[in-house]
Amino acid sequence: MNLNIKAQDANTYDAIVVGTGISGGWSAKELTENGLNTLVLERGRDVKHVEDYPTATLDPWELPRANQIPAEERKHYQKQMRTGFTIRESTKHWWIKDTDQPYEEKKRFDWIRGYHVGGRSIMWGRQSYRLSPMDFEANTKDGVGVDWPVRYEDIAPWYSHVEKFAGISGEALGLPQLPDSEFLPPMNLNCVEKELRKSMNEEFGRVLTIGRNANLTQPHNGRGKCMYRNLCSRGCPYGGYFSSNASTLPAAAATGNMTLRPHSIVNAVIYDEETGKASGVQVVDEQSGEMYEYYARVIFLNASTVGSTAIMLNSKSDRFPNGLGNDSGELGHNMMDHHFRVGANGVYEGMEDQYYWGRRPTGFYIPRYRNLNGNDRNYIRGFGYQGGASREGWERGVRELAIGSELKNLVSAPGKWTLGMTAFGEMLPDHSNRMWLNYDETDKWGQPVIAFDVEFKENEYKMREDMKNDAAEMFEAMGLSNITTFDDPGAPGLGIHEMGTARMGRDPNTSVLNGWNQVHSVPNVFVTDGSCMTSAACQNPSLTYMAFSARAANYAAEQLKKGDL
Amino acid sequence: MSTDNKIDRKEAIKRAGLLLGGVVFAPNILGVLNGCTATPGDWTPTLFSNDQARLVSALADVILPADDSPAASELGVPKFIETMVVEVYSDVQQAEFLEGLNKFADDYRTDIEAEFADGFDIDKYDFTYFQNRLAIEEDPARNPFFLSFKELTLLGYFTSEVGASEVLRYQAVPGSYEGCIPYEDVGNTWATD
Repeated sequence: MNLNIKAQDANTYDAIVVGTGISGGWSAKELTENGLNTLVLERGRDVKHVEDYPTATLDPWELPRANQIPAEERKHYQKQMRTGFTIRESTKHWWIKDTDQPYEEKKRFDWIRGYHVGGRSIMWGRQSYRLSPMDFEANTKDGVGVDWPVRYEDIAPWYSHVEKFAGISGEALGLPQLPDSEFLPPMNLNCVEKELRKSMNEEFGRVLTIGRNANLTQPHNGRGKCMYRNLCSRGCPYGGYFSSNASTLPAAAATGNMTLRPHSIVNAVIYDEETGKASGVQVVDEQSGEMYEYYARVIFLNASTVGSTAIMLNSKSDRFPNGLGNDSGELGHNMMDHHFRVGANGVYEGMEDQYYWGRRPTGFYIPRYRNLNGNDRNYIRGFGYQGGASREGWERGVRELAIGSELKNLVSAPGKWTLGMTAFGEMLPDHSNRMWLNYDETDKWGQPVIAFDVEFKENEYKMREDMKNDAAEMFEAMGLSNITTFDDPGAPGLGIHEMGTARMGRDPNTSVLNGWNQVHSVPNVFVTDGSCMTSAACQNPSLTYMAFSARAANYAAEQLKKGDL
Repeated sequence: MSTDNKIDRKEAIKRAGLLLGGVVFAPNILGVLNGCTATPGDWTPTLFSNDQARLVSALADVILPADDSPAASELGVPKFIETMVVEVYSDVQQAEFLEGLNKFADDYRTDIEAEFADGFDIDKYDFTYFQNRLAIEEDPARNPFFLSFKELTLLGYFTSEVGASEVLRYQAVPGSYEGCIPYEDVGNTWATD
């Protein structure tokens, strides 16, 4: 008995954070800075900032096969490759092998992910937008899903809190549908993007701005500024963009209160029937396969939307036969993503004496303009656009009639300016869009395989008509030539913005989490990744996960100090 | 090299001059006429036969020849093409590529009555120019070979150090972003986006 107690003591912390991605990094930072002795668990390998970015500074000629992976290796990434951009020689080490990490699709669902310290904060798109007052009120106004248990005013100070630390560059516009962040100076638009901005303003009264992104336009909190290499997803040796590895985890480590344990796959949260709280987590060691238990007074699930939801579904007890905190039956349901890959391309005639310097790691952004004041479309909610202008490069030479020196001369000067943009639209929560655990199949760590049944529905498809036609209309108004439209929704998941499967709400009968991201019925378990999202809005969501994580972690620390948890 | 080509040296140079303004091809033509034989270069083919390898080198050099800057074969492009076909192409793509390569050689043999790799520059240029136009104007599904070959040639060339940084402009660490600057300040196409 004595030995067991000692072992238990050694495995006991104030707090446990499951996951090291964007939200887990924030939970870890805020909990440790509040003086809590915190165990941070990561299912994959360790990744140290800079030293574990093996491809970060390679030139094109240092990458074999022009940065493409061999056909033989592609067999391992059949689902991860569906994005068309994730699996390159320079980035493949950040993504899981589908052959190691199977999942099931009742309908096609693109679950694109990486398991390592930092998670997808290393490869994320870095677009950072606040949700607006309108977004937090949308569900209750439209009678869709459930009402958010918070309003913009509750979250706004936490947006400021995380933005000041992370560093978000952008232009303040004072738009009610897209509140400004605490901005670092914006990056520049190029000549043709400025023309589009002018034309959209004059012809439609719509706004175009530079993408708001978590890349530093000046040194910030000990990190170097962006050097405009546009190789972010390899990991940045300058710390020029926000990642857990460059930002939150070093801050957490600096407190002396963090214990980071990689190779730790959380199997379940342990529920204590006597206290009515969670007492810890069960961990499968990724390398040895051995099972460990760790204990804490408060547990933060930040294993990503699908990961955290799967852990909860797998945490079964007499009290929770259908998964931890799943009194409502909503756990695993209401999966959302953003729907995109619809828009237009065109050619701008002129300005061929103008070019640009550097590789800007963001494009332009067109904030939502549809259905802002009442609903005048045949769908609800809206969309924003992301796009960019650039001059054609050497690639155009393939389809030119020129060969020989004529071809060399042709492609050594840039081609015409081209413009392209895709809309990102809001996807509504729907109970029938769900994930669950299939216990008939297990992975090599004995975990049940996750299954998905998610689809875009009528509102999304109606919205896509506007998403496509508006893009063409704005390009026509600007006078572009060769305008072509595209509309290929792919499948949910492709936006890599999975959300909503443990949603927040006011009523424990219809939601999983309360307004502090606490599991309604297990108050010392907090879930602050994308699974908490009650609605999706149309903005890229990571900044919102940061804000919810920081807010919940500070609340949890406060409650612990008061003895209320 | 074969001596029974159908046009003589003088005619070849004249025709090159008509096509290209007489600037860039002459030294290369003289090289060939002086009896140089295209070789696979400094690489031992693993998939391609020796004849196929010589054809790949010769065709890559027609698409991107030596002039102010090196020819494709001088920058390792033929080896790059083989690596891509062996390692990156699927089995189906690889078979299509080889079939297209052989057909290209056959068509040249039929039209010009010579091996492409041993042909006069002007013949190779004319034939390749025609094949390129055909591939661009036709349904790409009907003739996947030529544009695949051209794409691999350009890809290998412009991702090489010399291609990227001397023929195009490459800046590993730009340090800043300026959205509107005079083209002259850059002077070439950027090698990377």
